[in-house]
Amino acid sequence: MDELAQACEDIARVSSKLKKIQRLAAYLQPLNDSDLLLAVQFLSSGPAAQPGINQTLFATEEKTSLSIGRAVIREALQMATGWDREILRICFSETGDSGETAGLLLRGVSADEPMTLHHAEDLYRQLGLAHTSARKRELLTRIYRRYRPLTIKYFIKIITRGLRIGLMERMVEEAVALACHVPAASVREANNRLGDLPKVALAARLGELASIETRLFHPMDFMLAKPLERLEDLAEPAHWFIEDKYDGIRSQVHFDQGQVRIFSRGMEEVTQAFPEIASAWKNIPGKGIVDGELLAWRDNKALNFNILQQRIARKRVKATLIQEVPVIFMGYDALLHNGALLLNTSLQARRQALESILENAPPLLHISPRHSAATLEDVDRLFLESRQRGNEGLLLKRKDSLYEPGKRTGAWRKLKRPFGTLDVVITAAEQGTGRRAIYFSDYTFAVRTSVGFANIGKAYSGLTNAEIKDLTKILRSASTEKFGRVILVKPEVVLEVAFDGVQKSPRHKSGYALRFPRILRWRKDKKADESDDIARVEALYNSSIL
Amino acid sequence: MQLQFTECGIHLPDIGLWLDNTKLDNTKPCAASWLSHAHSDHARGCHAQVIGTPATLRIYRMRLSVAENQEAPKMFPLNFGESMPWNGATLTAYPASHILGAAQLLIEFAGERLVYTGDIKLRPPLAGDTTEVIPCNRLIIESTFGLPIYKLLTREAAAQRIIRFAQECLDEGQTPAFTGYPLGRGQEIVHVLANAGFRTAVHGAIAKFIPVYEDYGYRFPNWQPYEAKATAGKALVVVPDHGRVLESSGKNIRRAYVSGWAALDNARLRGGAEELIPYSDHADFDELLELVARSGAKHVDVVHGYTAPFAHILRSRGISASAPQRTSDRTNIEAEA
Repeated sequence: MDELAQACEDIARVSSKLKKIQRLAAYLQPLNDSDLLLAVQFLSSGPAAQPGINQTLFATEEKTSLSIGRAVIREALQMATGWDREILRICFSETGDSGETAGLLLRGVSADEPMTLHHAEDLYRQLGLAHTSARKRELLTRIYRRYRPLTIKYFIKIITRGLRIGLMERMVEEAVALACHVPAASVREANNRLGDLPKVALAARLGELASIETRLFHPMDFMLAKPLERLEDLAEPAHWFIEDKYDGIRSQVHFDQGQVRIFSRGMEEVTQAFPEIASAWKNIPGKGIVDGELLAWRDNKALNFNILQQRIARKRVKATLIQEVPVIFMGYDALLHNGALLLNTSLQARRQALESILENAPPLLHISPRHSAATLEDVDRLFLESRQRGNEGLLLKRKDSLYEPGKRTGAWRKLKRPFGTLDVVITAAEQGTGRRAIYFSDYTFAVRTSVGFANIGKAYSGLTNAEIKDLTKILRSASTEKFGRVILVKPEVVLEVAFDGVQKSPRHKSGYALRFPRILRWRKDKKADESDDIARVEALYNSSIL
Repeated sequence: MQLQFTECGIHLPDIGLWLDNTKLDNTKPCAASWLSHAHSDHARGCHAQVIGTPATLRIYRMRLSVAENQEAPKMFPLNFGESMPWNGATLTAYPASHILGAAQLLIEFAGERLVYTGDIKLRPPLAGDTTEVIPCNRLIIESTFGLPIYKLLTREAAAQRIIRFAQECLDEGQTPAFTGYPLGRGQEIVHVLANAGFRTAVHGAIAKFIPVYEDYGYRFPNWQPYEAKATAGKALVVVPDHGRVLESSGKNIRRAYVSGWAALDNARLRGGAEELIPYSDHADFDELLELVARSGAKHVDVVHGYTAPFAHILRSRGISASAPQRTSDRTNIEAEA
């Protein structure tokens, strides 16, 4: 682990992609097999790898995530260093990174004991099994006191899932290939099939890449769609299959003659939350992996995502809840069917497989209706129809698209149009994290009312880095009060925000909240008194509940 | 002695003296100001009378603009270790090692010993005088790096890193570019590179002050003015803004950032430099604590940087301390020069 930390530190130090890959490969190459597994795991999926899903098929009691929050990391640091909360808060705010702060503050505090990768794995396991925050804090404090500060820095970064050294999974794949003297493409393909880079790395070293196969009950990454900002940008409309874009829980069903497990994005298992769906799949013959979406469903229509959410939080679902929130599975794609891996076949062929899997399926299992369009006008019409059915918009998939796990390529596009836009005024700003830690990049905004400005939401995406930089200066000089990372500012800056809906909410002073607000642009041309008022928000809300 | 902490400096009404008055309004010059060093966030504006070390006054004069209807300031040079009487007080200058000429001021008045550090560094600098710690009752100190996350390199380690990076780049056929502020850090970096035998190309804003350093006995062999067209095979020392210009010029350039802020990884994003060399002409956290402890001060006023947290840390160690100036931390961070 000490060498891994040093390798990461060196990788951060060079900006050339090739040099980063070479440095990582130089670190990986001499490792023994079990260390290679761990090192690649820490660098790609983190310590919370699903512990032996195949072996413990239905025993899902063991936690798969360490669930260590920033609070625990800080409290342990407080205990190990003696710095109080206030000082730690400022230090964290300056670095914007928990691992880095711990590493910096532990210099001269921690002992110099070496940490091996197996040692690290054991510590992660102990942290994962510690069930109370107090216990986690105690363990972490002890870790802080024993090992080298640089090692702790990356030990924590691996927990918080952000190395921030400019290393992407694709680069780890390339480093594995370089270290094992195999072509990068073969590592990538094997990783696409298996979705488990550590095991792929080991196979690469043993010359067994070709025999890597997708395994059932081991979740694979989902293929994602790139947003299509303007319909006009869509080339060759006739080459795409078009489906409604549903707003549910994207899921992957693995089934093998009566055995069923359902995974959501983030590789979490959700089988227990949807027992009726799992039992519907038990009747499907053969075996396979199907990509789709769980939807709350009534009268042939998908219900609001908020309704579906009630089903997720529960460990055990009561029969009454199943009645109150009826759920269906909407099938999109087939990735594996009866031993045949379909990733490298065309969508058209995969769709046929999906249809044959769900032929004679129980009523809870649907297939996403598919449309074709000849012209952009057709696409536009389909979009409006989708919205009328209460769905978000459209998903467009090239007919010849392969299934590329974990990728967001132009082969799939999503077309959403905002529900509405508002010109709002910034009333508070917060420092971001990571690369944005030095800027005020998260904004709370408000609409006008008869008695001043009332907050309605918060957004942080949509502006360019240059704009954030400029805004930071302006907001800093307009600030009236400071609370930690947050400043209150005079209401002067106007933003145009887009959002997908308006809800009543006690959370904001305006009494409303926006769904998925994002910044469209900075309205430098508008003054605060030219922004939208609460009456317009009320009108939008009223139009949405009709 | 009465102290007034204002937005444009510290006022000592009992003896009619300001410490680092930075009033921009040239029409109403202040009567008299001590100039701790010649950075423009400390020595600025045209005052009636100024006191400073000869080096500080020389650079102040280089930068000063005097309006036609205005009188040039009357300058009182005060060498290190020398004292002068001032309205019933005795003023003595001591090295602060921040940049060339930077000084602490000891003010003895009515049995009290007050020390104003100005910007200060305790460890020896790459080029400049070494700080003395002055025993006092009351200490006014800066805290640019007054958080425990800031531990900076010694001059030996910094010099080693600067040389190593320059050599590594040149060996690989690339051009190393170091960014430093025009006065202080810039000359320190040039001093290291030039004396290590690198052909060193120096940006005009930094080169301007090299003769002043030379007059104080520092030698800069091998340096030449920076030319945009002839950079290959040289080590460049440029001002921070120019570093970005170089990088986007598409030349084969790698940048190093020599600064206390380089102690944090996000400096890489802030300045865009690849190599971070955490070295500063300000004291780091441990040096600040040491300085306070060795001064024996009964009360400490913290006036720049992380004022409130650093005063809080001092109090938690049983030292009476306050952060009288209510300037925002961030403003000071950006004003580091």
